[in-house]
Amino acid sequence: MSPDDILRIDGLTKIFFGFRALDGLSLHVSRGEILGLVGPNGSGKTTCINVVSGLYAPEDGSIRFDGAEVAGLAQHKLVHRGINRTFQVPKPFMQLSARENVEVAIAYGGARQGEVDAAALLGSLNLDAVANRPAAELNSAQQKMLDLARALATKPKLLLVDELAAGLNPAELDWVAAKLKEFARSGMSIIVVEHLMGFIEQVTDRVVVMNAGKEIFGGTLGEAVQDKQVVEVFLGGGHAH
Amino acid sequence: MLTYSLLAGLLFGLYFSLVGLGLNLVFGVMRIVNLAHGDFLMLGAYCAFWLYTLFGVDPVFAIPVAFVLFGLVGLPLYYLLVPRLLAARDPEMLSIILFFGLSQVIEALATIAFGTSEQSIPGGDLGRALREGWGRLTGHEIESGPVEIFGQSFPSAWIISGVASLIAVALVYLYLYRTRTGYLTRAVMSRRDEALATGIDVNRVSAIAFGIGIALAAVGGVFAPFMLGSITPAMGVDSTVVSFAVIVMGSLGNPLGTVLGGLVYGVSYMLVQSYLSSWANLLPYLLLIAILLVRPSGLLGKRVRLA
Repeated sequence: MSPDDILRIDGLTKIFFGFRALDGLSLHVSRGEILGLVGPNGSGKTTCINVVSGLYAPEDGSIRFDGAEVAGLAQHKLVHRGINRTFQVPKPFMQLSARENVEVAIAYGGARQGEVDAAALLGSLNLDAVANRPAAELNSAQQKMLDLARALATKPKLLLVDELAAGLNPAELDWVAAKLKEFARSGMSIIVVEHLMGFIEQVTDRVVVMNAGKEIFGGTLGEAVQDKQVVEVFLGGGHAH
Repeated sequence: MLTYSLLAGLLFGLYFSLVGLGLNLVFGVMRIVNLAHGDFLMLGAYCAFWLYTLFGVDPVFAIPVAFVLFGLVGLPLYYLLVPRLLAARDPEMLSIILFFGLSQVIEALATIAFGTSEQSIPGGDLGRALREGWGRLTGHEIESGPVEIFGQSFPSAWIISGVASLIAVALVYLYLYRTRTGYLTRAVMSRRDEALATGIDVNRVSAIAFGIGIALAAVGGVFAPFMLGSITPAMGVDSTVVSFAVIVMGSLGNPLGTVLGGLVYGVSYMLVQSYLSSWANLLPYLLLIAILLVRPSGLLGKRVRLA
């Protein structure tokens, strides 16, 4: 593991009832890097996020984070170590206000006391106007930002972003892209799972293309679209189980 | 007759709240169905019975013993069963099968250990040690006979059971709303995934809730000889059905809704006992079906189902 890498995955395997959702996946993420994880539906992108974030334990393989093996650790322990994620469909505590949702994450997420200010964090994500409203009353874009705020409140070193851009309008997409770049400049590493290639191109330094639970390409998005195997996978006929 | 039925119904309602409370707590936190709930109640009843029979322990003192003992049983049982269940594709359905099996095992073992004969504890012996202690302290002995409320006489054991149930409900409320672990418990009940993602140790919180759920069932069992008349190893199934009727009525997944469900069930039970006694055993099933058809989210409705 290079000292520049915050995450290195080797031979990661996750099997659901006989189906190999991850089949020996290997990849790495450098400090301050934004890595795009792309691939057709069912290629294992979200499973990768779920395994790295501790939602599922892998059957095999290694996940080294910040110099330590973390494969199979419980999700709350990974949050405390500095890995957090957003969800495709945000699941905030609906009865709690936006501010309280963030405060819960500040209190239990492992950030040092006083390290995160809930009001400032909500303000930075344009949620200050709805800070005192129950999460259930926020629209879907606001709930996505609240989900991001919840993850940021735990001071992650590695942020896993699962389809954050879906459903956002072009102005919101530009704004979110700028935010993610800002986080990366501050030293945070980010893995972005996304179907919107324009957004991926806008925010990522490098992409890993996945198919059938494996990495089939690593490089820039511009290089990926020139790759024969990648093109086959996206245009059909290349999905090998 | 009506006044008696209503007052007795309230006393029984409080007791039934206690009976269903643990089951609802477990369902609310873990979304698993503990079909062995009534069997832990049965074991709690035998705990009180044997403490009384062998050592002459006042059943009131069996309450803390049962709570601690069964709470400690619940913790390892959680780690043995529940995390694997929750990792399954359909934990709710699998939990029904698994805990049904556990219920059968517990009942079979209890039958081997205790036999099939009905057992009971004299109603006047509930709280006897407390009355004697009070008498020694003050010089005034408290009678163990019936207690009069609004001109109606009720066994003192019913009053003690009702009061103890009320205290148990209040303690669960304080736990959920006034303690840090209770706050985390409500967070897990609200959104398990979100709780995990905020860094909450969901497994630990769930294990504590599971232990408390089983401990509450056992405490309910301590009063079973007085409220249900007698105890047998087969009583667990009936107790589970009653618990389900109570929590479905109140609001599945909302422990405090159990109190409303318990009171409605208790009053209905005593009214049917008084005016249509041959229908009394059908009541839990009829209420369950009626509530599921008319208001499946329970009397307190969807807004409070997430606690």
